[in-house]
Amino acid sequence: MPLLRVTNLVKTYQVGDVAVRALRGVTLEIEAGEFVAVVGPSGSGKSTFMHILGCLDRPTSGEYWLENRDVSRLNDDDLSAIRNRQIGFVFQGFNLLARTSAVENVELPLLYGPAKIGAAERRKRASAALQAVGLADRAEHHPNQLSGGQQQRVAIARALLNNPSILFADEPTGNLDSRTSVEVMDIFQRLKDERGITIVLITHEQQVAEYGSRIIAFKDGQIVSDRANDRQRVAMGELALLPAG
Amino acid sequence: MTVGSSLTIALRALSRNKLQTALTTIGMTIGVATVLTMIALGTGAEAAIEQQVRAAGMNLIVVTAGNYKTKTEDDGGGVVDHQARLEPFRDLGRVRLQADRPRVRLKPDTTAENVSDFSPQPLALRPDVVLTGFHPEDDPMEKHDHPTARQRLGDTEAGLGAAATLTPADADAIRQLRGVQFVSEGIHENVHATAGDKRWFTRLHGGDVELPSIRRSWTFTAGRFFSAREQARLAPVAVLGAFAAEKLFGTANPVGQQILLWKQPFQVVGVVGSGSWMVAPSAGDDQFDAVYVPFTTIHKLLNLSKLNDITITAASTGEVSRVSKDVTELLRARHGIGMKDPDDFTVATQARQSLARGGLRPDVARAVVGNVGGLEKVTLEQLGRTLDRATKTMTALLGSIAAVSLIVGGIGIMNIMLLSVTERTREIGIRRAVGARAGDVLRQFLAEAIALSVIGGVAGIALGAVASGVIAQMLKWSTSVSPASIALSFAVAAAVGVFFGYYPARQASRLDPIDSLRYE
Repeated sequence: MPLLRVTNLVKTYQVGDVAVRALRGVTLEIEAGEFVAVVGPSGSGKSTFMHILGCLDRPTSGEYWLENRDVSRLNDDDLSAIRNRQIGFVFQGFNLLARTSAVENVELPLLYGPAKIGAAERRKRASAALQAVGLADRAEHHPNQLSGGQQQRVAIARALLNNPSILFADEPTGNLDSRTSVEVMDIFQRLKDERGITIVLITHEQQVAEYGSRIIAFKDGQIVSDRANDRQRVAMGELALLPAG
Repeated sequence: MTVGSSLTIALRALSRNKLQTALTTIGMTIGVATVLTMIALGTGAEAAIEQQVRAAGMNLIVVTAGNYKTKTEDDGGGVVDHQARLEPFRDLGRVRLQADRPRVRLKPDTTAENVSDFSPQPLALRPDVVLTGFHPEDDPMEKHDHPTARQRLGDTEAGLGAAATLTPADADAIRQLRGVQFVSEGIHENVHATAGDKRWFTRLHGGDVELPSIRRSWTFTAGRFFSAREQARLAPVAVLGAFAAEKLFGTANPVGQQILLWKQPFQVVGVVGSGSWMVAPSAGDDQFDAVYVPFTTIHKLLNLSKLNDITITAASTGEVSRVSKDVTELLRARHGIGMKDPDDFTVATQARQSLARGGLRPDVARAVVGNVGGLEKVTLEQLGRTLDRATKTMTALLGSIAAVSLIVGGIGIMNIMLLSVTERTREIGIRRAVGARAGDVLRQFLAEAIALSVIGGVAGIALGAVASGVIAQMLKWSTSVSPASIALSFAVAAAVGVFFGYYPARQASRLDPIDSLRYE
């Protein structure tokens, strides 16, 4: 039983008079615990694909089963609930709330959860999540007081707060230098190995995709290749060789 | 998402831009302040009209002994012509009893002629009668320390009979009637009040402890009214009208001092002044150029048992007609007056008088008051007409200022919220991505708009309270900022927030999550 399965997924945008076919029939299964790297040039439809998988968008046609649930027909509120509980996002631009401390950014998903969680409990859990990414001492810093790598780690802590089963990362290293990029990849690989979290990494760089255990290539809204990565890069090993930042 | 966290987020967002928040709320502040002032002025004006009406005694019913309207022949019907009873005072020392009245003729030979001088014989036989010939104020030599005012009160024994028909028992019976609020027995005399070397000729009112409740416009400038206990113990205590107090004691505080009435010492326990800005104490006025004493004390001192009048207030001004009718029936029954016989008392209501004063013929006024329930209220409004008109103008003015500033304030909030939605599109996207529903976003922005308007509203309530205070000082109105009016102002502020905040909040909630995440 795969974690998620999409069948003949089609997404068409209407831009003015022109219909843009972003996805032209994508069929795919992802098992729990995989580290899937999705590569492709810009405009290949990989971002659209991720948005649909991440329940931020709905397909024009086709089916999307996530943990035995057909989510392609769910309404907006149900999709919000799935994003809140089952899915974590990490973005290229970090997408942290400005003028809001790191810990407050991290506790954000708890505000929209089903259970009413007290402010003290929220703070406690957010602090623990920050500690897990090594930023316990930066809890009260605002995003503009943090480096790019630190901001991305805050974003990861936020994404993991509700213990999602799947983490979507959209060009997470796009704004980072090479060492911090490797650091972020190390975190992803550890999450996969230690907590069994499924990672879906969207990137346009082949080298970054090499960190995944499976590489799916997109072109013109279709999958052109889908292979297991037998030359997977190991971020931890690379970090040891890189000079300390 | 809970209301609490919506509010927290809203307040945090607002605190990030304090100047903008403050400027945005000014419109609301002015609007709410105007609303509050308007309400305060409205109720203040109502209170002022009410006070004026009460002071005018619109709910007052006065029962006077004797029937002024019925001329008496020798009908023996128990009715007296009050013109006649003034006659004894024309000739000092001469007792002129109306001996032709069979009912009061105690002895066949006791005629006016027989007792024209102070002959010892009738004195010995009927000492009361002798003294009735004199009133203390009538005697320049002041030989009588304990005179009575019998001829004026018309005690039956004194031979003036039928006029003195009201007793304290009548008053007590009236107290039991439905719709009766306060009742005071009344005995009225002229008296020389003496304090040290000062002497002042004034009115003496024997009354009940409830009198201050009837004279609503009274304020006690010093001390208090006499107590029920003092009244029951026939205590020699007196309350001075403000004017009489000034004449007797100047600027000194009379409370605790002694005055002499008929050479008897009375302790002053209070000074009563006018609480209405429309009535100032002056010489010769019946209320404040006066001395008030428990009627029981007067009864004892002057050896009396009857009353000049009984003053009643109806609990509701609309019930004056009914109550006065009930009083009439009660007294007729108590006095044993037959169906065809006229009253031996007179019931007068202020409402009827002011209707008559307003140009209606007395009989028409009487018919109207008798037949139209609630007409007194119309008259009250006529009395307060001028004040009312001024209030309406001011309320209309304030109302339009309030409406305009609330609308302008609301639009200001809407404008800022729309700007804020655009400015924070990315924030909306982030919140949606981590699981915020469209409704959560709507609530967050609505909470922010309401918080803005309520902050303005609270400032407005403070400003409005100050403004009504200042206006109260200027107009001498008892404007009051009641909890209800504060609650209303608060509700108005919140409603403006909801009304003008809903559209921007809806815009925010409708944003597409992906588009807002990409928004730069």
